[in-house]
Amino acid sequence: MEQELVSLQTKAKEQLAAIENSSQLEEFRIQFLGRKGQFSTIMKNLGRVPKEDKPRMGQMANGARKEIEALYSEKQTALASCGKSPSQSSDAIDLTLPGRRPVIGKLHPVTQIMNEVCSIFEGLGFAVAEGPDVEHDHYNFEALNIPAHHPARDMHDTFYVSDSILLRTHTSPMQARIMETQQPPLRVIAPGKVYRCDSDITHTPMFHQVEGFLVDKNVSFADLKGILTIFTQKMFDKDLELRFRPSFFPFTEPSAEVDIACVICGGKGCRVCKRTGWLEILGAGMIDPEVFKKVGYNPEVYSGFAFGLGIERIAMLKYGIDDIRLYYENDLRFLSQF
Amino acid sequence: MKFTLNWLKEYVDTGDLSPEVLSEHLTMLGLEVDSIAPLFPELQPFKTAKVISVEQHPNADKLKLCEVVVGDESFSIVCGAPNVRKGLVTSIALVGSVMPDGMKIKASKVRGVKSHGMLCSERELGLSESHEGIMELAPDTDHGIFLLEALGMDDILIEVDLTPNRPDCASVIGIAREVAGITRSDLRLPVKSATLEHSNQNFSVDVENSEDSPRYAARLIRNIQIAPSPWWLRKRLLSIGLRPINNVVDITNLVMMEYGQPLHAFDYDKIAGKNILVRHPQQSEKTFTTLDGVERNIDPSMLMICDADGPIAIAGIMGGMNSEVSDNTSSILLESACFDAVSVRRTARKLKLSTEASYRFERGVDPGGCVTAMERAVSLLCEIAGGEAAEGGVDYYGGIRPLNSLKLRISKTSALLGIKLDYDQIADVLQSIGIRCKPKDDDTIWVNPPTFRIDIEREVDLIEEVARLIGYNKIPTSLPTVNLSYPEQDPKRKLRTQLSTLLCDLGFSEAINYSFVTDKHHDMMQLDEEDSRRPVVRLLNPLSEEQSVMRTMLLPGLLENLKRNINFQKNSVKLFEIGKVFTPQADNEQPIEQERLCCILYGLRAGEASLLYNNEEKVDIFDAKGIGELLLETLRLSACGSEDAVYFRTPDENEAEAYTDLSQCLLMDSDQGVVGQLSKLNPEIAKQFGIKRDIFYVDIDIELLCSLTSAVKDFKSLPVFPAVKRDIALLVPASVKAGDLLNTVRRSKEKFIEHCEIFDIYQGKPLNDGIKSVAISVTYRSPTKTLTEKNVSKSHTKIINTLTSKFNGSLREG
Repeated sequence: MEQELVSLQTKAKEQLAAIENSSQLEEFRIQFLGRKGQFSTIMKNLGRVPKEDKPRMGQMANGARKEIEALYSEKQTALASCGKSPSQSSDAIDLTLPGRRPVIGKLHPVTQIMNEVCSIFEGLGFAVAEGPDVEHDHYNFEALNIPAHHPARDMHDTFYVSDSILLRTHTSPMQARIMETQQPPLRVIAPGKVYRCDSDITHTPMFHQVEGFLVDKNVSFADLKGILTIFTQKMFDKDLELRFRPSFFPFTEPSAEVDIACVICGGKGCRVCKRTGWLEILGAGMIDPEVFKKVGYNPEVYSGFAFGLGIERIAMLKYGIDDIRLYYENDLRFLSQF
Repeated sequence: MKFTLNWLKEYVDTGDLSPEVLSEHLTMLGLEVDSIAPLFPELQPFKTAKVISVEQHPNADKLKLCEVVVGDESFSIVCGAPNVRKGLVTSIALVGSVMPDGMKIKASKVRGVKSHGMLCSERELGLSESHEGIMELAPDTDHGIFLLEALGMDDILIEVDLTPNRPDCASVIGIAREVAGITRSDLRLPVKSATLEHSNQNFSVDVENSEDSPRYAARLIRNIQIAPSPWWLRKRLLSIGLRPINNVVDITNLVMMEYGQPLHAFDYDKIAGKNILVRHPQQSEKTFTTLDGVERNIDPSMLMICDADGPIAIAGIMGGMNSEVSDNTSSILLESACFDAVSVRRTARKLKLSTEASYRFERGVDPGGCVTAMERAVSLLCEIAGGEAAEGGVDYYGGIRPLNSLKLRISKTSALLGIKLDYDQIADVLQSIGIRCKPKDDDTIWVNPPTFRIDIEREVDLIEEVARLIGYNKIPTSLPTVNLSYPEQDPKRKLRTQLSTLLCDLGFSEAINYSFVTDKHHDMMQLDEEDSRRPVVRLLNPLSEEQSVMRTMLLPGLLENLKRNINFQKNSVKLFEIGKVFTPQADNEQPIEQERLCCILYGLRAGEASLLYNNEEKVDIFDAKGIGELLLETLRLSACGSEDAVYFRTPDENEAEAYTDLSQCLLMDSDQGVVGQLSKLNPEIAKQFGIKRDIFYVDIDIELLCSLTSAVKDFKSLPVFPAVKRDIALLVPASVKAGDLLNTVRRSKEKFIEHCEIFDIYQGKPLNDGIKSVAISVTYRSPTKTLTEKNVSKSHTKIINTLTSKFNGSLREG
């Protein structure tokens, strides 16, 4: 029995080595490895082996079969790969044909940027709050230290619905709305649509902003710089240089504009950055004590910062969109690019 | 605010700062430089030329032949100017140069004689209105040099974008003051400060209300000779884009630009009663003609300057025709005042009239600077216009508030800015721009802001000054120390994300439309007159009719987007929008804002996918229904094993929208009310939007959707025993609804029914009319055993019997 097994193993190895094509290989499989093949026959004969030899012989037979099976599949692979390259045969699949793909849609670029902005601040522990588009004059202006007939109202070309109701010109009213109902510490961003009656190649009468603010004890301008540095660097994916320069908003003091090194020319000066090498990206500042007083916070106890940024502007810079009007035409040739 | 570098240098030493570096400094001080460019770049190629001979043109009486020299070169030029003469130095446009109006100078023949260039008038150069002849430069001007150099106009124009809090910098001296802080140099002012001897001799001034006009100073100047201003003065005004008019007007404009103090010159002889009254108009005074010749409606809210007969100027905005300085004026009354900013602003708004003067008054002028600026103007009037100032004048200052003294805490400054500062650092920077400081105690500084800094009223304003002067970029960067907290997430935001992600995966692109639309949409959608979406929130000042009301539905916007995409040859469009609609409430109340989702489907089902693998089938109502089903299933509001929170049903007659195709419309209903609908758009409506083919839409109320409770995720063990599938081919009257058949199967009392579905529907030959064949597949499975033929057959037979009897059907043979 043992003898038989050894010689079968040898014979199988020899025959397998001599095989040259797949039909010979199939013959081999039937002869040796098939259900009625020679290995099966040997296995069946195991019953006749003396009881004490059975485990050893069984193991041996199994081992031999496994070895031949391994060699067989090796041969199979070898034969397949040394055959003609599949692309040359006439019935081969033409893999240059396009893939069969389901059609997917895209989120609007404004939504994509908005999500990105929000997730950066959410990662910093900011809550997200949304407010009304049609707003009271009080929240849009008065509560933000912009009384009627303040020249700062010139910075906001406002759509009015009635004497006291308007389309919000910025997302800053959310500062007052939140502070009015909640106590510090606060860390909030407020994304949304805003409206100004202005329409040309760089302005649409509706656009999107994200307002953010943080109020607590001992919050400083240096903290504002820290948070916005994290934000701009995450948003633009690089060790972007940024600068803070003095500006004016009635609801912050000190106020700042934040510029980033021009992402188009890398700061060398180009048309987009008006040759300055810098791009204005957001407005910010320390919340004015008047704003705190109007919501009943004690400015001697609390301090805080606020910032606001335009989503379309960031999308323009990130994606190189050069005509802002494209945003609201909803042309699929535009939407599908992002 | 525009100024030139050379002008600035009259008042301050800019050290070795290049224009670019200077601009950078100003920008970083909060005076954002918008542009910095050579003055009159279009005049750069022009040169000076000297006429060396003049002869009559042989073929034209009015033309002359001139020989001119331009440095080493000479040219013959045909010129028609009456003032051309030998020895005149003028400006020349050489062949190839482009005139400011865009005309290119070419060598040409004028009436048969060659001309190599053009001698230019001031108007042709854009320097003045003068076109009587060619420009006359000083006789000793070199020829062949650049014209701008000869005119002293090779200068740099700088434009600063002023923030509303810095009216003090709406003046060249204001800018110079900031520059003096940078270069730590002294200001050189034409008049440092002045006071006025009070005299009522020649005229009197009465101010009705000190709040409207805190200060009003005036002086009489006699013997004025109205004439064009000298070149240096015209040059200043021209360089910043102001049109020179005559010496008096030019001087008032120049001083306004220098000091930021608007001045006005009245013709003294035209002032009735020699009495100036600063008052509001009486009811009877209804109109007033300003010096631009426009008759304007005035009302008692406006502040006017009046004489004994009535108004002669609108305070702080514009003078009147009736008191205007003319060529015959010999005495002027010069006004230098400080008017209330809000009052001027309100009036300017009402009149829709904005001037350089109103711009400054609206933001606030220095109440301490009126007389100083006036004295500067008086000295120029005497010097240039031959004036003689009458002794003294009037200086009313009844409304001036006492000087502000502020406490600035060093600790507060350091804490708010996040940088450690001491007294020396703070005092050093504040004093560099003229803000006086003295120590009060260890932590407190007494600060006296000068009168021209009307924006500095509080400690925090001083802290901003300190930050600005130290430089924002010198302040370190840190991160706030905060307590950890978990911000709650807005469920509506989460829902929105879920929906939009799913829709994108399903091939829809997101649209964002303006929130304001035309109310014509409501007619286009054929909304009933009583429809709740007809009342709108209307803008008082829309940009156009197309954007005049807040939308009450999303669908019209998407239909317009669809039309646009069809125009650009898209044959498959799937768009969705999630946005607010607005329902008006009472006047002066905010409208209700509600979020909705709307999807539209149009054209090829396979979309832009390759036709190689797809056919050209168009979307139909079942695509819309599939979207609806998937949305609800994803939100676990239906088909999640438990009771459906939302289910589909056909609308009752009174629920049907006019814009739907009633034969293809389903409502998504819930026990909270109708959540949404999906439908084919009525083809009539599609036509209104210029679309001829079928459009399907899904419209959902996000607010309601958000209020529904999702089914919990509840695991069910996987079946271990095999299922048995049996088909039924049923012939039923064509009116029988597939859903009724399936529900009958599902609700039958037979055990082991796991699933049933329709896999084929057929109508037509060889079937009889009015009969359809429906093929139903039923899956049976037991959780505890392998079902036997017997188990299944029994149930299956019962189901078939129920179906045939209930729906008057029969089994299809063969």
